[in-house]
Amino acid sequence: MKISKLIKKAETYARSDELKRKEKKKYLKKVIKKLRKHEDKLRQEYDSCTDFEKSRQLKQEIALAYNQRKKGVKILKSLKKKKRDRD
Amino acid sequence: MFRQLILPTIFLVLGYGFWISPDFKEIAAGVAVFLFGMLSLEEGFKAFTGGLLEKLLKRTTNKLWKSLSFGVISTTLMQSSSLVSVITISFLSAGLISLTAGVGIIFGANLGTTTGAWLVAGLGLKVKISAYAMPMLVFGILLIFQKSKELKGIGYVLAGLGFLFLGIHYMKEGFEAFKDTLDLTAYAVRGYPGVFLFTLIGLFATVIMQSSHATLVLIITALSAQQITYENALALAIGANIGTTITAIIGSLSANIEGRRLAVAHLIFNTVTGFVAILFIYQLTMAVDSISYFVGIEADNYTLKLAVFHTIFNSIGVILMLPVIPSMVRFLERRLKAKETSRRSAPKYLSQSASDLPEAMLAAVRQETQHLYDNAASIIAGGLSLPLNAIHSNKSLEDVIFNARTVIPTNIDQQYEESVKSLYADIVDFSSSYQGELSADQVEELFRLRAAGRDIVEAIKDTKHLQKNLSRYFIADNPYIHHEYNTLRMRLASVLRELHKVRQKSENDSATILSLDRLRLDMEEYDQNLNHNLSSLIRQKLISGPMSVSLMNDSGYASDVTRKLVQMGEVLFSESDLRTKSIEQSLSLSDEELTEMMHSQHNNGKDRSIL
Repeated sequence: MKISKLIKKAETYARSDELKRKEKKKYLKKVIKKLRKHEDKLRQEYDSCTDFEKSRQLKQEIALAYNQRKKGVKILKSLKKKKRDRD
Repeated sequence: MFRQLILPTIFLVLGYGFWISPDFKEIAAGVAVFLFGMLSLEEGFKAFTGGLLEKLLKRTTNKLWKSLSFGVISTTLMQSSSLVSVITISFLSAGLISLTAGVGIIFGANLGTTTGAWLVAGLGLKVKISAYAMPMLVFGILLIFQKSKELKGIGYVLAGLGFLFLGIHYMKEGFEAFKDTLDLTAYAVRGYPGVFLFTLIGLFATVIMQSSHATLVLIITALSAQQITYENALALAIGANIGTTITAIIGSLSANIEGRRLAVAHLIFNTVTGFVAILFIYQLTMAVDSISYFVGIEADNYTLKLAVFHTIFNSIGVILMLPVIPSMVRFLERRLKAKETSRRSAPKYLSQSASDLPEAMLAAVRQETQHLYDNAASIIAGGLSLPLNAIHSNKSLEDVIFNARTVIPTNIDQQYEESVKSLYADIVDFSSSYQGELSADQVEELFRLRAAGRDIVEAIKDTKHLQKNLSRYFIADNPYIHHEYNTLRMRLASVLRELHKVRQKSENDSATILSLDRLRLDMEEYDQNLNHNLSSLIRQKLISGPMSVSLMNDSGYASDVTRKLVQMGEVLFSESDLRTKSIEQSLSLSDEELTEMMHSQHNNGKDRSIL
């Protein structure tokens, strides 16, 4: 295979990789946004909750959504970093 | 025997026809090229179905008028009611749409197919369409050779249209030349005998070609060359409309009961419409004349008048049948019943027609895995000596556990053999033998679904291990061990209940699906508390050593059951699109992350900082 063809192939591959990353970022942002909304809703519920068991559960759910969101943000950052490294 | 003779007879008749008349050869070649064009068009549209069709179907079939419009628009775009009906049957078989929605689409498709007559009569005969066909074919074939799936799809659509146009051109030329040698109108039959005879001919021709569109084009070209009378052409169009149901009937042979019901609905619609059209053919002809006059169609433009007739009689069909759709669906459900099978393990959704399209195949695997879960859930509930319907009810779980104080004899091995093993094997077999092309997202989803099936099976195995001690200790006299095992039952019952609730929700967004991780967190917490409790119970000699070992082991099994069921639920009950689903999977916390989260909550009150 000629060098120019090889470069062209590599470029196409990199472009499709970049496209996939962009798509992933888009969907990830959407889910993170949903988790944040969910978290806010739970916090409001928690603030007005008087039942001990229920508030324990809510606290747990808030922590869970927070940690899942944190995980999402971490993945998002690593995706952005990958892009920077490539550039 | 009769079947074996059909094909050679057709070959002989056609061969004889080609020998005596070169014009007939041209017409037949036109039909063949036209049909090839339709095949190519189908191939092209299949390339664009990846995910889009599923989304569209979900959004456009929740109301009858929407399904009807979907049928009209999709058939107008694809120019093939047969393709639309076959796709509808495969989606119905896979449980993606309801029977009512399916009937709506089919009725709409009948209306959409009338646009074909307008295109051919209005455009195809007036302009020299073969001139457009040639570049379309060249560009189309060039695109087919491309690697990109989308470009390939566009290529097939272009080439398909090119072949359609070329086919029409050949038919037109053939009939024009035919006119000089033979006058077919000499064989015209007047009055009702003619109507019946030509309806039958139209029906027969469509059954052979399996395309009412091709028959209609043939009728229009023959009519434009004055080879058939206008009256007989109308009867032929009615016959073509009835004959087109053959594709749906053939398609439904490999479908499940829902698909068959839809094919019968299609047959009922087209037969009733055809019957009404035959009965009122003279009144309809008058209506066509007045409408044609009103819209400015010349009195002797019979081809356009045929298109008007085709539209009117299909519209009348839709108007007549639309109000009776609910009763028709009830009738079909009453009359056509699924074969009563004693096997709970018999697959409900895995049919041949569900493997026509990747979306339908994935939906069928998903639905069948949910069926697998249903069977598994009752085994797991039985293993806990709890009735599943009580777990799924609104009663408090404390009451459910309190009321279930006796052992429900459940032979998990036997039930697994009877209702799970072969169903699981069928799912694996069906998904592995799929021949079509899958996108990367679809391959990922198939892996997830397979993993969900494996999780279900493993959860049953873990329950089996758990059952032995559980059914002994939850009725034990020792109140401490009795209490601990009932707590274990409650934890697992709450997992089953929560999964049931999430499944019943009409809309599950990513947050709901991810919140299922809480069940794992609860179980993890319970496991840690148990370790503390056990030490104190042993120290105070309230339970024996073997009891504590059993409890520790069983708590491990319960954690495994929970983890597997939650993993399964996050896959099976998520209604997100494939890409979002993949994100949901990556955000679900691993066991280590859950433990870390718990520790950070307990240790330095990090939870306060979160709140």
